[in-house]
Amino acid sequence: MTVELLIILTLVLGLVSYFMGRFNKVYGAVVTIIASMFVFISVGYMANDILDGSTFNYNAVKYLPVFATFTVSYLGIFFAILVTFVFAMVSFFNPFFVEKYKYPAVYNMLYIFSLAGVLGVFFTDNLMVLFFFFEFVVWSGLFIIPLGKSKKAAVSYYAFSTAGSFALLYAIFIMRDVAGTYNLYAGLASVSGTTQGTYVMILLSISAFSKLGAFPLHTWLPAAHGNAPHPFSPVLSGALVKLGAFVAILALVKLAPVGDLQSVFGSYTDATFLYASQYAVAILGAMTIVFGTLMAIRQDDAKKLLAYSSVSNGGYILVALSIGGSVGLAGGLYHIIAHALASAAAFLAIGAVSRVTGTSKMSELGGMIHKMPITYMVYLIAIISMAGIPPMGGFISKWLIFQAVIDNGLILIAVAVFFGSIGSFLYVFRPLAALFLGQELPQHKDKAKIPPFFMLLPMIILSLLIVYTGVFPNYILGFINDVMAELGVDALVIGKYTIQGPNGVLHPTLVASVFGVGVLIAFIIFIVLKKSRKVGLMDTYTAGNFIYTEELMHYSLDFYAPIERLYEKYINITEDFYKKLENKVVDFGRMVKYFFFTNKPEVTVFWIVVIIGFLLWGDL
Amino acid sequence: MVDMLLMILAGVGVALFGFVLQTSIAGVNRKIVGRIQKRYGPKWYQEFLDIFKLLSKRSVTHGWIFDFGVIMALGGIIGTAMFMPITSSLMAFPGYDNFFIFVYLIAVGMLGMAMSASGSGNPLASIGVMRALTTMLAYEVPFMIVVLTIIKLTGTSSLSELGILQQAGGDFNWFVIALPLGGIVAVISLMGMLGKKPFVTYIAPAEIASGPMVEYGGKQLGMLFIMHEITVFIEVSLFVHLFLGGAENILFFIIKYFAVYTALNIMSSVYGRLKIDQVVLFFYKWPLILAVTQAFIAIYLGWVI
Repeated sequence: MTVELLIILTLVLGLVSYFMGRFNKVYGAVVTIIASMFVFISVGYMANDILDGSTFNYNAVKYLPVFATFTVSYLGIFFAILVTFVFAMVSFFNPFFVEKYKYPAVYNMLYIFSLAGVLGVFFTDNLMVLFFFFEFVVWSGLFIIPLGKSKKAAVSYYAFSTAGSFALLYAIFIMRDVAGTYNLYAGLASVSGTTQGTYVMILLSISAFSKLGAFPLHTWLPAAHGNAPHPFSPVLSGALVKLGAFVAILALVKLAPVGDLQSVFGSYTDATFLYASQYAVAILGAMTIVFGTLMAIRQDDAKKLLAYSSVSNGGYILVALSIGGSVGLAGGLYHIIAHALASAAAFLAIGAVSRVTGTSKMSELGGMIHKMPITYMVYLIAIISMAGIPPMGGFISKWLIFQAVIDNGLILIAVAVFFGSIGSFLYVFRPLAALFLGQELPQHKDKAKIPPFFMLLPMIILSLLIVYTGVFPNYILGFINDVMAELGVDALVIGKYTIQGPNGVLHPTLVASVFGVGVLIAFIIFIVLKKSRKVGLMDTYTAGNFIYTEELMHYSLDFYAPIERLYEKYINITEDFYKKLENKVVDFGRMVKYFFFTNKPEVTVFWIVVIIGFLLWGDL
Repeated sequence: MVDMLLMILAGVGVALFGFVLQTSIAGVNRKIVGRIQKRYGPKWYQEFLDIFKLLSKRSVTHGWIFDFGVIMALGGIIGTAMFMPITSSLMAFPGYDNFFIFVYLIAVGMLGMAMSASGSGNPLASIGVMRALTTMLAYEVPFMIVVLTIIKLTGTSSLSELGILQQAGGDFNWFVIALPLGGIVAVISLMGMLGKKPFVTYIAPAEIASGPMVEYGGKQLGMLFIMHEITVFIEVSLFVHLFLGGAENILFFIIKYFAVYTALNIMSSVYGRLKIDQVVLFFYKWPLILAVTQAFIAIYLGWVI
């Protein structure tokens, strides 16, 4: 099946799900499962076929207008497989949540439409088509997010996405101007290394930053991810944010970096320097890591916490991509996979808890592990990966990123990278401790139960994949090497089981099996010793106080208060900046209204005529 | 396959060696600290007695996560210790003693313990875990920056190779001398890692009832004691291999190990206890500034003694 047909079929399925949804809410949601599974399998089949060296022309266009051209590249396949997989897994949650929306049929349709948009972005080679699908995804998301908790989040999402879209549009115009064609590859190649290339890089970076939620364009992301409907948060965080990473690759890898510092400073020292543009993006990425981490530590809403962790992980992706080279790029691409899987699984686990309790606030939850042990294990595996601890996928990517950072001697960036890495232990542990562990609160005791099988299935598949990416990363790294060959970067050196970095070898399978041996020994020690007597959770040491309520024994509010106190004065700087900007825009609007749109229509008409005349002047 | 099994057996041997070594040295140190405080102190094998007594006792459990966390903690730490080289040529898995494995695999053990402690449902344990994680955020970053400097200078992150490079002399002295500022930072960070005073905030006896450990008894506590001893073995050995030129033979390793651990204990016994926010502020002030300065000097100016 060609890409064109796949996209058209997906759109049709979207409409089908809408009408099914009008007929019956749950059936409509089941259509989303069928549609996204179908798309995932088709993309997987396509990838498999192309890797086998098939000559089938997937790019053929028959029904769409002639300018809509497609090119199936390795990079496109890489992203498409990942993102469609996340869509397919998350879609299993839709039937269970669809009751709660005001417009369930619309939700189903837009869910599939955003999937179609994503396919278009990754597979087209025409810049305007890319822009169209990019906007298509933004618009679909715009109408889904208000179905959750907050309408304001959608406005913020739209504002920042628009900034990104306009930046993309201007970049497209510049490339069209230089190359004379809307072809993506020709456009990028023609501006690479020129002055226009610098502008294109800046504009594409703005677009990537706004999509990825990187500093300073990050404020929309926590609001949108935290308030979106429960099944859409994992899609936003695991899939749609990756559009930003895709654009970032176009900007940072496809375009030659600018600002040669090596020739300026190289004579003073033996150390080597990167290009100025690489440093600039890496520093912004590093700031994203630190901001995301500090904000995640102080959240009370588990979904917001995970959203800030997405911000922080977006920073890692940016740092890795900006450093580039085979290790950096491989680390960035692997981190995209690792984070997509881990954050989807974590959001799904929290979603499953919120479904039965009606809240995702950590201060209102506790002891969910006793009724939802499998959900707990899913969350545990996801956060181990997110914190970059072996034997999960996140460790491989973080290891590669560390290698790249150290190999280039980026000291200050390393401070941020290490800080984010240790900080992630702090914040991912909070939902674990406050939401799943601790005292079992009586108000949720009766409601909580093991989720239905079709909710557990995607979570378990995701968990298994997270472990797989951490234990046997080399198959995926081999595919990443194909992607990097297409991008013109040297391949990462991998053996059958080992990964060769610039200053060390990693054997993930060995690490995992040794860990397994360790756990086995500990288990044997545990099992041969005398069996323990089970006591209740309230039967604990309280230093002589008599406490009978579970809430008082559950430490979950302001968990990291001592460290939060150190920086809570500074957290609103960016928000305040955007507030002020908003006020300025409103003021400017009032001024325009005062001067041009007065009560007298003739004045308005006069100005309209003058402005139209002015705009037409250039062409005359 | 047989090779692999032998290597794994050797790894278990390393972990066992580490446990025995550290537990004995900890016992000797209890005596030394006792003398500093004008006491006699217990016998040197007291730590062994404590652990075996605990393992033999019948205890209580607060649910499956309470036990599972303990198993994961001890298992993660044993797994980490299996990678540790003892001398620069004696190790279970030659070529895979990558620095990052130690830093991150040790975290599995920490996570297991934190999980188990939170699973006990005692708020004092949660406070202890919070403090432990916060302390980790404090000491880890300056330490990692110093190690970054070493890896960048030598081009390897293998502990045994770093040891051999330092022993060969030539370009690199022992890094505690070659990078003096970094050496100071590493010692301070090591005190944080081991939870020695003034960074003892997360155990904080008499303040938060021993923090994470408050609910444990019997075999769970015994296993956590074993875990603690092996953790100390890993952390002190890291310091020996990274900064004190590794070890040519096992005797040198034991001497260096004993010297480092005893020196830290003696230093520790003259300090009070910092509050947790003071710990964070402290580490993000002087040690971090020193570490970054050292990194700039060494990497960009090439000044290495």
